[in-house]
Amino acid sequence: MPYLEIHDLTVSYEKNRPTLKQFSLSVEQGELVSLLGPSGCGKTTTLRSVAGFIQPVDGRIVINDRDYTRLPPNKRDIGLVFQSYALFPHLTVFYNVAFGLRMRRIPKKEVHSRVTSALKMVGLEAFADRHPAQLSGGQQQRVALARATVIEPQVLLLDEPLSNLDAGLRVEMRQEIRRTQQQLGITTLYVTHDQVEAMSISDRVVIMNQGEIEQVGRPESIFAAPETVFVAGFMGFDNHFSAAVLSVQDSKLRVNWGGAPIELRWRSNSGPPQSGAKAEIFFRADNASLSAGREASGLAGQVILHTFHGNEVQYLVETELGEFSIMQDSDSERFKPGAAVTVQAHTQKWIAIIAETEQYA
Amino acid sequence: MVSRWMYISLVILYGFLLGPFLIIFMASFGANANLAFPPQGFTLDWFANVFETSQFIDSFWISLQLALLSTIVSLIMGMPVAYALTRFHFSWSGMVETVFSAPILVPGLVIGFAMLNFFVLLGDMHVMTGLFIGHTAILFPYSVRVISASLRNLDPYVEDAAVSLGANRLRGFLLVVLPNMQAGIAAAFVLGFITSFNNVPVSLFLSGPGVTTLPVSMLSYLEYYFDPTIAALSTLLVIFTVVLVQTAERLLGLSQFV
Repeated sequence: MPYLEIHDLTVSYEKNRPTLKQFSLSVEQGELVSLLGPSGCGKTTTLRSVAGFIQPVDGRIVINDRDYTRLPPNKRDIGLVFQSYALFPHLTVFYNVAFGLRMRRIPKKEVHSRVTSALKMVGLEAFADRHPAQLSGGQQQRVALARATVIEPQVLLLDEPLSNLDAGLRVEMRQEIRRTQQQLGITTLYVTHDQVEAMSISDRVVIMNQGEIEQVGRPESIFAAPETVFVAGFMGFDNHFSAAVLSVQDSKLRVNWGGAPIELRWRSNSGPPQSGAKAEIFFRADNASLSAGREASGLAGQVILHTFHGNEVQYLVETELGEFSIMQDSDSERFKPGAAVTVQAHTQKWIAIIAETEQYA
Repeated sequence: MVSRWMYISLVILYGFLLGPFLIIFMASFGANANLAFPPQGFTLDWFANVFETSQFIDSFWISLQLALLSTIVSLIMGMPVAYALTRFHFSWSGMVETVFSAPILVPGLVIGFAMLNFFVLLGDMHVMTGLFIGHTAILFPYSVRVISASLRNLDPYVEDAAVSLGANRLRGFLLVVLPNMQAGIAAAFVLGFITSFNNVPVSLFLSGPGVTTLPVSMLSYLEYYFDPTIAALSTLLVIFTVVLVQTAERLLGLSQFV
């Protein structure tokens, strides 16, 4: 049974221009779900609506069978972690973490023991008497996490909690947030614009675009099988081209690739594609290879640029279907700019998306 | 070479800034009956004369009351305005900010003259009331600016954090925002107090019979007497101001807001 339910949530800041359009999502108890999307996609609006800072024009928010929709934010049992940490600068770490417990009028002794164990959990028990300004960014974020979880909230909300940290610390904190979340078994919504972060931390990922859900699923399935053109672009499919569908056979369709056709998995929002329909085809840089010269099978191309990446070399290859980025082992044969090559498709991980019922022109 | 030129220009700059004070300071101890430099002899008579001149003592108390009252009222009025300007962005917030800084931009003489006309037209307002309104009006933009500066240093999300932890909006403000505004409020207080205490142009127009601020009575004293009493009084005022600002700086580090 879902623990956090969002039904048809609609939010607009301006009349008739909704920021969030009938957003629905169910989150199981103890599950961590990421809201992933570019800025302005409505992910933070969703989070702030669940926290109660934004009144939706329509829709319902239910947590643990209780209707939260009209509840003021201070009456909701929700832990919130901000991008800027939002620690109270005039209070010590201890009193920052104790704030929520003191608002709940919990006896002093219990406050002390709960704050101490919360600080222990994030490894900051030695810093209880410091002020936030005396802590590093990572430490501040740990205090923010302890402050939000010590009240044992029904739901934990994290709004881009790692974007103010540098890259190395981000990975470390990511693991720490995940570990804490699982340890407490707390139902969590996690907002991020970082695809890798969402993939690595979440049980499920919600990909949002312009106030609507594009796709919901486990990280592995979204990564392997995006359902829309937007998701494919967001999931790091480096290469894209459009082609006419030659024929369709059950789960595969065929399009032209140089002289010979290739068979691809497909996704469609409007039923099985017809011959002649327009397919948007996506593949990653390491799912194609280059061979020297012109070959009968494969797509003819010319190397424009090559960039050395250590273990791999990245080639930019111009073909009749467009420019493609292709990664090769640096041990394999090297090609210079201007070299004639043939691009071979390794189609197992390619995906064809039928975006609209449009004929290929 | 650069550092030597910088050093020299620094000395010249300080000379211009502190030189006049130094001359006043020395002249206040001189025995001549007229203000002169270099002073001859040494006497503390002029300081005694300051405390014996009832005009100065009376106007000092008026200035003190006026400065305290108008500073406090301008702070009470300025706080919500500063809060609104830093926290909410409404379509005409830019215009509001400009209007509120008008008393800084418009010459003090113009404000004083305008207020004089206004109060005269309004009928016989008490002189002290007029002074109080005039001073509050010129201090108001200072308190808005200085308190805004301290609020801009505070992460706006701390209030949401407090609310999400169970505080209502008012408690969130009292427990989280207000403690972090303290230094800004104190800085605005010191700045406002000194601005009011030193103000001449507005006070000049709004003073009336028997009710005069200290700077205005110093000015009128100078018209009749040119003795070092004024120098002695100036020395006392400089010491007063320096002590006030230094104490505030030590306690609160207010230079980060002004």
